[in-house]
Amino acid sequence: MNKKITIGGIGSVLLGDDGVGPYVVALLEAAYRFAGNVTVADLGTPGLDLVAHLSGIDALILIDSVANGATPGTVTLYRKEDILRHGPAPVRMDPHSPALSESLLIAELAGEGPKDILLIGITGERYEVGAELTDAARQAAGVAVAQVLSEIGRLGASYSEMRSGLRSESFSTWWRPLAGETPTQIPSR
Amino acid sequence: MSTRITIDPITRIEGHLRIDVEVENYAVSNAWASCTMWRGIETILRGRDPRDAWMFTQRFCGVCTTVHAMASVRAVEDALKLPVPANAQYIRNLILIAHALHDHIVHFYQLSALDWVDILQIPKADPAAASKLAESLSPWTRNSRNELKAAQDKVKAVAASGQLGIFQNGYWGHPAMRLSPEVNLLAFSHYVQALEYQRKALQVVGMLGSKTPHIQNLVVGGVANAIDLDNQSALGIDKLEQIRLLLAEVARFIREVYVVDVCAVAAMYPEWFKIGSGVTNYLAVPDLPLDSNAAAYDLPGGVILQGNLGAVQPFKTASDPVFRESVTEDVTHAYYQGEQPLHPWKGETEPQFTDWNGDRKYSWVKSPRYKGQPMQVGPLAQVLIGYAQGHALTKKYADLALGQVSAIARVNATPALLHSTLGRHAARAIRAAMLAELADKHLQLLIDNIAKGDLSVHNQPVFPFGEVEGVGTHEAPRGTLSHWIVIKGGKIKNYQAVVPSTWNASPRDEKGAHGPYEASLLHTPLARPEEPLEVLRTVHSFDPCMACACHTFDPSGTQIARVKVL
Repeated sequence: MNKKITIGGIGSVLLGDDGVGPYVVALLEAAYRFAGNVTVADLGTPGLDLVAHLSGIDALILIDSVANGATPGTVTLYRKEDILRHGPAPVRMDPHSPALSESLLIAELAGEGPKDILLIGITGERYEVGAELTDAARQAAGVAVAQVLSEIGRLGASYSEMRSGLRSESFSTWWRPLAGETPTQIPSR
Repeated sequence: MSTRITIDPITRIEGHLRIDVEVENYAVSNAWASCTMWRGIETILRGRDPRDAWMFTQRFCGVCTTVHAMASVRAVEDALKLPVPANAQYIRNLILIAHALHDHIVHFYQLSALDWVDILQIPKADPAAASKLAESLSPWTRNSRNELKAAQDKVKAVAASGQLGIFQNGYWGHPAMRLSPEVNLLAFSHYVQALEYQRKALQVVGMLGSKTPHIQNLVVGGVANAIDLDNQSALGIDKLEQIRLLLAEVARFIREVYVVDVCAVAAMYPEWFKIGSGVTNYLAVPDLPLDSNAAAYDLPGGVILQGNLGAVQPFKTASDPVFRESVTEDVTHAYYQGEQPLHPWKGETEPQFTDWNGDRKYSWVKSPRYKGQPMQVGPLAQVLIGYAQGHALTKKYADLALGQVSAIARVNATPALLHSTLGRHAARAIRAAMLAELADKHLQLLIDNIAKGDLSVHNQPVFPFGEVEGVGTHEAPRGTLSHWIVIKGGKIKNYQAVVPSTWNASPRDEKGAHGPYEASLLHTPLARPEEPLEVLRTVHSFDPCMACACHTFDPSGTQIARVKVL
């Protein structure tokens, strides 16, 4: 039986490099066709509604921006144990706080979580209000696409290329900024 | 001599809701609610096409996606005085209902039940006794001894592994936890089952909206769903029947599990009907329009001031002139520039960040006011406003819930008890039961309308040359949401979203009046100030959501929270 696989982009497309996950998903959707057992989804900035997308699947590939102190544009791979190492937040105030690790723990508790997890993390540079990615994030998006495809291959699923030569540096999406728009600056703390 | 406690979950790079309380003699003597994240996301909309705005606003918040999409198209339609075909109203209503049912279930079970349920008591429970107790409360078929034993085994396995995982950070064994092991087990077993039913509700959102979490089927003037009763790929009989079955399963869970659990937990913590009232001014807008011109609604709206249900002031429409004229936002204690309260159409979002200073500026949330008054919004506001107007469906489920509490606790539970922390939970369950019943009604309205031969889903928007203003409202899971738009020459000139959590989490205003979270915390008793479970109970009862956004994953484990006692 074919493994059920979800490829999900996480992040806000309105907050600079936080939108790199959905951007990678848009690239994948524009350039590739995946077999029926593979779901490609822009998951936005979910809270526990993420559990619904994690339940009943065998493998999960997530693309998200990460704050790991590396040079902007660095792509780092994390597996399940890296994500779950720190557990849920000690105090939860609103439905966003739990997000990824808590959603995974809840899916595990219900016995419905994916066995295989790969999180492709892209170190962001700017997170101010604005729909534009930095060059570093755009370039890293191309690397992330290659990582997704390699993981899909490792999991034994198939895909075909619909549009060749699509370059992450020049690909645009519905949320791209108007010509000449500059991201609004958050005042420094 | 007072102690200051700060609860500040630092979960993502931008942070969220922060609560500060002063504690004197084991009770809260002062409180501050602040949002630690800049809320200026509306500025991204200026200069864009109003027809695209909903795609962007849907990204304001990843939990409340659909609600911001809906308020946005309604704002543009209001500005253009553009009616929406009846089919589109029903499809939108069904999406809003399904999303709300998902949200309410997740809120009670996954986000707040563990404030009341002590996981570590579960291994001591007798599954047979728990099953017997459950049967006395509800006809739900999944309360068998075996089902409960399986739930208990899950908890035992987690405890035996030494890794508490999802449970590692609860205030287990806290003196304010008081349920019997059997009730703890029952609630936990429903915590696991709830995951299935919230998913079914989301499935409905996906079937009608074509995707979750971001629906794709909206357009200004209606929806983009193709209706064809005989075509399997369009919205036809097969899909509508599937939606009916899913909604029926969710409705059953709500009636037989969610409402029952809330009443049972409430009956065992009756003192929490006297804690957490705070601001008793309530605001709700009418929602679930019943026809193309939105002349009638299934959910009533209005205003209650100072808890006086007898003097309820109803709103006739979702953009009632009184509502339109009465909303302002003050920034005296928020990190923005500005001298006096401004109407949202004139609203400005110019940041002026200073350090946290409880006497001056301390939050990124503005202070919205209705005729200058702080207002509580949310299911409680909606239920009280409906009840006060004698709204039949509201009365039906409110009286049912109060009756259940009365029977279990052997008290006479009246609507007056609802001005409280538990009242907010009870009202959310009441609202869920109302919506579950309305889901079936609106599905039938849609089918009947299509059967009449009306396949229309969309009216074409036309933009006037000059400047127009509009407000789009929605009674969202967390309360009154309003999007305020100014359109000039077919482009967005100004856009402000006044979200439910802005009303509830608002800081003090220019007159020093507390916002609803702040006011609700005053006088709350704390058994152990260093473990402020009681503060979380009240804050969680509002279902806070800080129009949030950034979701950068932090692998270093800095998902720390500070509970700082000074």
